[in-house]
Amino acid sequence: MSLLDRVPTGNGDLALLAGVCCVLIGGLFALTPLRAQLPSALYVFVEVGILFVIYGLLVLGLDLQYGHTGLVNFGHVAFFAVGAYGTAMLSAQDTFAGIGLGYPWPLALGVGVAAAALVGLAVSATSIRLRGDFLAIVTLAAAEILHSVFVNFEGIFGGNVGILGVPRPIAALAGDADTRLIATLLVIGGITLVSLAGVTRLTSAPYGRVLRAIRADELVTRSVGKSTVTYKTQAFVYGAALAGLAGGLFALYNGAVAPGFFTIQVTVTVWIGMLLGGAANHRAVLAGLAIIMGLRLISRFALDVTPVPSDVFASIRLIVVGLILVTVIRYRPAGIWGDAQELGVDR
Amino acid sequence: MSLLSADALVKEFGGLRAVDGLSVSVEAGELVGVIGPNGAGKSTLFNCISGVVTPDEGVVTYDGTEVTGDPPEALARRGLVRTFQATRELETMTVRDNVRLAAPDQPGEQTVPALVRTESMQTVEQSVRTRADELLETFELDHLADEYSANLSGGQRKLLELARALMLDPSVLMLDEPFAGVNPTLTDEIAEHIRELNENGMTVVIIEHELETLTELVDRLVVLQQGRVLVDGQPEDVLSDDRVIEAYLGGGV
Repeated sequence: MSLLDRVPTGNGDLALLAGVCCVLIGGLFALTPLRAQLPSALYVFVEVGILFVIYGLLVLGLDLQYGHTGLVNFGHVAFFAVGAYGTAMLSAQDTFAGIGLGYPWPLALGVGVAAAALVGLAVSATSIRLRGDFLAIVTLAAAEILHSVFVNFEGIFGGNVGILGVPRPIAALAGDADTRLIATLLVIGGITLVSLAGVTRLTSAPYGRVLRAIRADELVTRSVGKSTVTYKTQAFVYGAALAGLAGGLFALYNGAVAPGFFTIQVTVTVWIGMLLGGAANHRAVLAGLAIIMGLRLISRFALDVTPVPSDVFASIRLIVVGLILVTVIRYRPAGIWGDAQELGVDR
Repeated sequence: MSLLSADALVKEFGGLRAVDGLSVSVEAGELVGVIGPNGAGKSTLFNCISGVVTPDEGVVTYDGTEVTGDPPEALARRGLVRTFQATRELETMTVRDNVRLAAPDQPGEQTVPALVRTESMQTVEQSVRTRADELLETFELDHLADEYSANLSGGQRKLLELARALMLDPSVLMLDEPFAGVNPTLTDEIAEHIRELNENGMTVVIIEHELETLTELVDRLVVLQQGRVLVDGQPEDVLSDDRVIEAYLGGGV
């Protein structure tokens, strides 16, 4: 059997290796007296980096749903929020508002992921048979409903204050602020890399072939004997679970959750990142997300040197993001690294 | 007991009775042609049998069990495989992947084997690749294997669709207009493939407009008109039947 004939491994194994290494090194920082020194100018980069690897889990899940299977999910933030709230409410001690049960955080994280997957399953059970745009409307509506549930059921979810007092396992272990940031970035980044390996394996296997066939033509896929509803449900639930994992990790990093972290802005950022990079290509969507989040970082510095007030600047930033998206869609409709033939777009 | 039968099928779309109390049956190993003017209900009959639409009334039986309204994927897994009138390729996939997709019983199409890359998935995939390459070679598509199927010509699409259906190793192959929009040379070629499959024991049902090729090819012809069976018999007898000439050629011969 020649090497070429083997099932393509892609870079999944490399990501797996790198991910495990990152988690181990991060654990080393957290558990041993080893200390990291961080120049203060780099703080902001590491902070945005942590947010990037968390959002990275979101974009990987969304890409499994949209890029590979063609399911238009405009409510991705809902699963992120469910994972975060689930984890926070189970693990929080002495929360100011809402419910905090004070269970150990690993259990809470597990429950958060499971809750997100269950909400994903519930949305699929009712709506996965809907075609493209209709599923988009349902998911968008589901996300808005959940958002207002989180805001309005103050006794349970803490209203606009959210849930406070969530344990921060890495912060508790690491000695000082610098070490804490580095360890957090490494551990969560490692988890994201391991997830990248997982989705890469899934999509490069015959499993991914079925998903891409569903995206191309569902009736044909059924007529060659594949239960497309099962596959669509699975892809949707896996994407939701990844978003739930991202939410849980976010809660455990941030130490608090509130509705303000889970606005439609999150969904928009992740979608733009995916389309910019090129859907159906795991590394491309991560790169696209890096571009859009890097832009946010640059604009943070630019704000200090531009003579306009910050609210005007915020509008300018939105205009720039919009222009970039328009330019990419005009000249590279499949995204920067996307394959136009595979996505079926005209060049 | 026939291998595949439809009994008193009725399917209405709005006020239109596309299929109106239609009964046909196909024996194992037969090569049957279904003809009829536009709107006679040929494609609707196929859709009812293959589970793409559920008939309003009537019973479809396949291989000894009732399968009325069973979804297409369940029927395909049991060996009842169809193609489509307007070729439906998976345009955003390569020719190779189009054919490989149809492979039945690939454990790598489940999450856990795909994630851990089990030995059985690798072994099965190896034989899937060999089989797919053989089929591509048989249908002379091997030089296009890495091309996206959106780039194929009409005739090549018909061949690809046939190759993809054969990947499932069907017991009954239902072809919806396999010769439509195909040049005469390729028509003969496709007909030859079909004849060969049938001689090797596959039951084949063909819907077609093009009469000449079909009458030479099939054992039996079923003529539909306005959702009913008009005539059912040997090709020579059917073609000389006055009712068929009336219906098919509009009477103005």
